[in-house]
Amino acid sequence: MKRRKRMLEELDQDIRDHIEAETRDNIERGMPPEEARYAAERAFGNTALVKEEVRAVWEWQWLERLGQDLRYGLRMLAKAPGLAVVVVLSLALGIGANIAIFSLVDAVMLRMLPVKDPQQLFSLSSNQTKPVRGGPGYSGYGISLSYSGFERLRQQNDVFSSVVGFVPLGFGPESVAVNIDGQPSLAGGEMVSGNYFTGLGVSAILGRLLTSEDEEHATRVTVLSYGYWTHKFGRDPAVVGKTIALGGEPYTIVGVAPPEFFGVEPGRAPDFWVPLAEEPGLTPWGVQPPKGQSFFTAKNWWWLMIMGRMKPGVSREQARAGLDVWLRQTLTGESGLSQAEAQAFVMKLEPASRGLDNLRGEFSQPLRILMGLVGLVLLIACANVAALLLARARARRREIAMRLALGASRTRLVRQLLTESLLLAAAGGLCGMALAGWGARVLLLLMSGGASLPLEVHTNLTVVGFAAGVSMLAGILFGLAPALGSTRLNLNPALKENADGGFDEGRMRRWSLGKSLVVAQVAFSLLLVAGAGLFVRTLMNLEHQNLGFDPRGLLLFGVNPTQNGYEGPRLISLYDRLLQRIRALPGVRAASLSAIAPISGWFNSSPISVEGGQTKADENLNALWNAVGPDFLNTMGIRLVLGRGIGDHDTSTSPRVAVVNQALARKFFGNLDPLGRSFNFGRAFKPDEAYEIVGVVEDAKYTDMRGEAPMTAYIPFSQAGEIGAMHFEVRTAGDPAFLIPSLRRAVLEVDSDLALSELKTQSQQIDESLVEERLFAKLSSFFGVLALGLAAIGLYGTMTYSVTRKTNEIGIRVALGARESQILRMVLGEAFALVLIGAALGLPLALATARLVASKLYGLKASDPLTFSLAIGLQLAVATLAAYLPARRASRVDPMVALRCE
Amino acid sequence: MSTREERDRIELLQGTLDLLILRTLLFGPAHGHAIAKAIERDSENVLQVEQGSLYPALHRLIKRGWISAEAGTSENNRRAKYYRLTAKGRKQLNIERTKWDKLAGAIARILRPAEQ
Repeated sequence: MKRRKRMLEELDQDIRDHIEAETRDNIERGMPPEEARYAAERAFGNTALVKEEVRAVWEWQWLERLGQDLRYGLRMLAKAPGLAVVVVLSLALGIGANIAIFSLVDAVMLRMLPVKDPQQLFSLSSNQTKPVRGGPGYSGYGISLSYSGFERLRQQNDVFSSVVGFVPLGFGPESVAVNIDGQPSLAGGEMVSGNYFTGLGVSAILGRLLTSEDEEHATRVTVLSYGYWTHKFGRDPAVVGKTIALGGEPYTIVGVAPPEFFGVEPGRAPDFWVPLAEEPGLTPWGVQPPKGQSFFTAKNWWWLMIMGRMKPGVSREQARAGLDVWLRQTLTGESGLSQAEAQAFVMKLEPASRGLDNLRGEFSQPLRILMGLVGLVLLIACANVAALLLARARARRREIAMRLALGASRTRLVRQLLTESLLLAAAGGLCGMALAGWGARVLLLLMSGGASLPLEVHTNLTVVGFAAGVSMLAGILFGLAPALGSTRLNLNPALKENADGGFDEGRMRRWSLGKSLVVAQVAFSLLLVAGAGLFVRTLMNLEHQNLGFDPRGLLLFGVNPTQNGYEGPRLISLYDRLLQRIRALPGVRAASLSAIAPISGWFNSSPISVEGGQTKADENLNALWNAVGPDFLNTMGIRLVLGRGIGDHDTSTSPRVAVVNQALARKFFGNLDPLGRSFNFGRAFKPDEAYEIVGVVEDAKYTDMRGEAPMTAYIPFSQAGEIGAMHFEVRTAGDPAFLIPSLRRAVLEVDSDLALSELKTQSQQIDESLVEERLFAKLSSFFGVLALGLAAIGLYGTMTYSVTRKTNEIGIRVALGARESQILRMVLGEAFALVLIGAALGLPLALATARLVASKLYGLKASDPLTFSLAIGLQLAVATLAAYLPARRASRVDPMVALRCE
Repeated sequence: MSTREERDRIELLQGTLDLLILRTLLFGPAHGHAIAKAIERDSENVLQVEQGSLYPALHRLIKRGWISAEAGTSENNRRAKYYRLTAKGRKQLNIERTKWDKLAGAIARILRPAEQ
């Protein structure tokens, strides 16, 4: 602004100089001074106009024109508020859905860890390419190294400037018994090496974080996460120095981590961190090691997760090669493997700038599918808006023709129209942002299936950039065609033309642009509708299948008394007491317990050897098994086929027995009677570890809802060897929810320090296992309906226009004796033709796309003919509805009025 | 041609002023008034430049980078703004001149076909 003022002053000066010079010239020529001055001013001309023109030359012209265009655009939109609202709403839905999904994509797949130089971070893990007997035992969860391996790696390596180790204190999110001021609760924690925070470059928001001394001296100190500090302690700064019990041992809070730090794995945010040390209460993965053994000395247990900060100048290949050698040495040295066996292991070195990728693995494919769905929705919305704007441009033909005739250039007009589109897109984008914030929260709830998924989904620069980009792109996409189409005018007829009548060649062409937009909408919406059909039917198939047990009126919960010091016979007797107490509750019809809750996603799997059985090396003899309490089969409603179930008299001292399902019996015994036969877990039959089969039950689903019921063996939990946490199943007479308070009381009466975890009904458990399926079914249905609605609006608009355009023709037909029904058929036929062309184009596209999601389907093929026929039928039905009004209007045309239109 | 008798001085075609300014500056930097005078003088007063219209043209040429402006002192020792032809402007002058020749030739052929 200052610069502009200076330039203006200079111009003034310039002009004054000029006039003065001219005046002097005139005086020299002999004019009297006053006249000379007047003549000079006259010769110069209108100074105000000159200044105006010079300013026009300087003007940030495009900016000023943009301002004009925007003002004009706003005026034009204000003239048609209905159109503007419809357009902005369609765009808001389309863009908002994209932003919502993208913000999740950002949180799960794109965002960097909030640590120093995240791109230097790499995660280490070893991969086994073939099974090796006697190799390290994995807990199967991105595991890296044994503790001693970690020790050696951090003492000397040429690759990393720092190496940090960490391990969760349980498999679930809430696995550690916490006691704060006498209040028992559950939380999730991690055990981390002393250099964890310094190595990652995270600093405390309150107090201090853990140090290497903490690890060295195994000090019982803990650092809280910001989230846990907030909801458990109300962000009280006085927590530093406070002592809380973790896993039954006192720990002193020394500090709080910053709010953005959620650990190193998106979707698994620990509540607290403690130093990596041998502790009685807190153990890696929440697993109690067998007596006399320790996680920290066992060389063959690989349980510690590791990340390293790569030294500058080391290439990833160099690093990997060096670590491979180190790994083989470790395996042949510590683990006692042969050279050949050690070759089966390779080191994996993955960039960890975005954290560990477990959540990415789980959600990246669903998110990609969802991104595709919302992309389609946006395309349809764009086509719809383009069709609306095209119709609007037709109404503005005279205005546009007038401006062209008055000398406006076509580019100028296209820019004007595009500015209007971008204005609409920006409005749509802003509303979309608002919708997306809400949508992302709903999505997160849907994705986590009710349980909270600790994922930071917020609007950051990436998301805003994406939103702006998508809106711009949409604006150009839906604005360009109408803008180009409507400025390609034959001026004379356009200027002469009255409101509707009249034909010209240019108009025919534009009409087909509108038509192709409708066809595109139909094609894309077929994709969405068919996809929705496939996902909905998948969910229905899953929900209405025969599970082999009865999930209704069944309540589940878990307890882990090992954290309160129970083990061995004391633990078994505690479980017995709990079971007796629960069975005695009014409203309980039956109750039992099992190591693994049905349909929880967990399972025990082992190879099975039967007495006298011949095992082929390559045959899959793995069966799933569950350690269960008395009356389990009856409680679950799994039907007994042969023999007896597991009862109260099956104890740790009675003969070892098992019940197997029909799949297992068929596989191992064929048509022979399985009762009385023995088997054990392992690759060789050992009589002293064997279980005698005393019953056979019908097949039932175990881990999840998909696939055939697996071969399953049930053994008494008192005979299962090591047991830890157990899950109770309670069959209730009425609504299971009513039983929850008395159940809690009953457990606390037995031991007031026991905390109940994962309290839910079996139906909830099943719902949780179908989170992804439900997410797809719900979202694709929502988007499918949206797409159908948009396509219907598009078709309605196009048919209305088409009918208006043909008023003359229809009038003539009626005058010549056409009946109402014939006219109706004619218009509906045109609409059907459009839908069928769209469907014909969309069908191969939909079939090809469906193949991409085939792995997500259940009980039907990706090319399911019924689903696709239904989708096309639905579109025809919607098209009939959309075209009916215009068609009826056409059939009621008064021939006299129609003919006079010309 | 009757107009010749009615008006000795003709108005400039749009765009030709630019050409004339560039041509004038070919002989060295000058201030606004001097440019206007030079154009009038060189065309033997046939071409009338409304002096004010010179300035939008000058600023347009500055914006295109064909001329540049600088502060200087006029012949009678007064501070004045001087305009100078740039290398780009020199090139442009040649282009404009060729274009102009073509246009003038074409118009001449149309107006006086007999003389061809």
